[in-house]
This record gives sequence, structure tokens and C-alpha cells, in this order.
Amino acid sequence: MRYKWKSGQWAFVLHRVSGVALSFYLIMHIYVVSSLYDPQNFDTVMAFLNQPLFKILEIGLLAAVVFHGLNGIRVMMIDFANATRVHAQIFWVVLAVSAVLIAVGAVPFLMHAGVLGH
Amino acid sequence: MQYTLRVYRYDPESGQPGRLVDYTVELEKGATVLDALGEIKAHQDGSLVYRRSCRSGICGSCAMKINGFNRLACETQVESLGRKPIHVEPLPGFKPIKDLVVDLEPFWNNLHRTLPWLINPNPPPTDKERPQSPEEFAWLEMPMTCILCASCTSSCPSFWADRTYLGPAALNKAFRYEFDTRDQGFGQRRDTLDNRHGLWRCHTIMNCNDCCPKHIRITEEISWLKRKVVEEKY
Repeated sequence: MRYKWKSGQWAFVLHRVSGVALSFYLIMHIYVVSSLYDPQNFDTVMAFLNQPLFKILEIGLLAAVVFHGLNGIRVMMIDFANATRVHAQIFWVVLAVSAVLIAVGAVPFLMHAGVLGH
Repeated sequence: MQYTLRVYRYDPESGQPGRLVDYTVELEKGATVLDALGEIKAHQDGSLVYRRSCRSGICGSCAMKINGFNRLACETQVESLGRKPIHVEPLPGFKPIKDLVVDLEPFWNNLHRTLPWLINPNPPPTDKERPQSPEEFAWLEMPMTCILCASCTSSCPSFWADRTYLGPAALNKAFRYEFDTRDQGFGQRRDTLDNRHGLWRCHTIMNCNDCCPKHIRITEEISWLKRKVVEEKY
């Protein structure tokens, strides 16, 4: 039987996955920004990024930023504020706050993509 | 009441890989997993091998993976595990020797690397002892309850990935001496701790903390050690 996955392991894996995803985003972001030197080139890139797929990916980006940031605070609380005793509870708070922020933040993205209407 | 135990069996001499074998045992209320294993060994299969000694959570011999979670077989009542077959497997992360017995040599080697004894070149201030105040001793109460059962180190994903990582049990011992006011061994322990196979391999995954049968907050101790190393360094 596989070793039981408790909150700490979920937090670690989600933190790693969102962290790696954010580094990839950073590379893509620098690529997009590097197209700024030429207005025509920039328009082409922007037109490409206007696909609905990227609106969905933007929600994923928001989710990664929100969870990675909030769980980063959790990790700092464990390392600097002896929060080990309540590490699981903090994880559930991180998840709940992340869910709310991602849900609220996704609304403008979806409106912009035309899913929710303007 | 009847219970089914799904026990990991492995015999290196047979050349076969390990497999899970079901045993059904009749147990009284309050029986532990260790009692169940004893029942199997006495009445069903005398070749079953496992470590045990004190039967009361003091010796730390019978730590094993029960229903996917490291715990002491002698402190886990069968009743608390539900009616499904109870999975009894050896501690993960170590080489199996036979059935539920694993090779703990890496565990002891890592423990020794932290120099788990009092280091103080000065003679004791009195003839008999090095006195400590109750406040100073309070720091040691938690780490001293460790029974070296290896549940924590065996549950640590960082240790699964890096067998030269000291692991939670060894770091708990390091904490026990580093935060002992009578100890002056930091200079000798520092390089072992401040190392990628030392303190910094801990990613606060908390498995050690969650499974410790003595409820030692190992991750909190590792955080204290991390801060001590950083403070001494900068």
C-alpha cells in the first residue's frame, strides 16, 4: 500500500508543481515582452495570445501564484514562527483562501474571454 | 472478533519478490496489531519474521507501515483500523531483510554522524554533575522521549530520495544536544548539519511530525536547528 498522503505532502507537491509552472511562465512572459521592440510583431503575438486557451491558462497562472504565495507564507510560519503544531490547519486555511481568491479572480478572465458575457 | 491482516511476506532465499498474504485471526477487544502478528506466528505460520521486544511502546522495535502509515504495532489497536483487510508492511525507505524486518544500518549510520553524545571539553563544575535549571531542561524533554523506532526517517520523502540525508530521527538527536546548555559540540556537528544532506534537505513535508508515536514535533526542532546554523554563520 502506498504511503498515506497527508496535508503536508499535498502542500509540498502542490508548492513544487506551482513553482515549476511559474518558472516556465516567467520564460514565456519574457519572450512575450521581448516582442515589444516592434509594434507589428507585438500585434501578432497579442493576436495569438487572444485565443480562449490562453484565458484558461491565465486562470491557471492566477491559481499557481495565489497558492504558491499563500503556502509560501505557511512554510515561513513553520520555519520562523514554530507553527509546526498547527501546520495542517494552516494548510486548510491556505486552500480555502486560495479557492476564494481564485474563484473571484477568475470572473474577469472569463468575462474577457466571453464565457460569462460582458 | 475476526480480522483479516494482509501481511507483506518476503524471503530473500526463495528468489521471489515480496508479496502480500492474507491471514484471518480471531482477536479479543483491545488486541493490537502486534498481538495479531503473534497469533499468526503461533498458530498459522511460524516462519513469519518481525521485530518486537517490549510490547508497550518503549523499545521502538515494532515500527512498521500499517495501513500505509508508519506506527508502532504494539500501540495500534486492531479495532481502530476499521473492518477492511489491515495492510501490514515493513518500514518504507529501507532494504527489506525478511518479511517485516528491514536493514536499519543507514539509519544508525546517519544517527552516528550527528555525534549524539554530550561534547564538552571542560570538567564538570561540581564533582558529580553539570547542573541545569528546570527551564534549561525543558528544552530537552521533547527530543529525549525519542525511542529510535525509525518511523519518522522511514516516512520522509526526502530520505526516500536521498539515503545520505540525516533524516528526522538523527536531526532530533542533534537538536537534543545542540539545545542542551551543557553541550559545546556545535563546532564539530556544524558541517554535518549545514549541508545539503543535512538540515537543508528538510522540505517541511511533515510526515515525520505526523507519524511520531511520541508526538515529537521534529519539524519544529529542525527549524530551530536551521535558525541556529544561520545565526552562527551570519
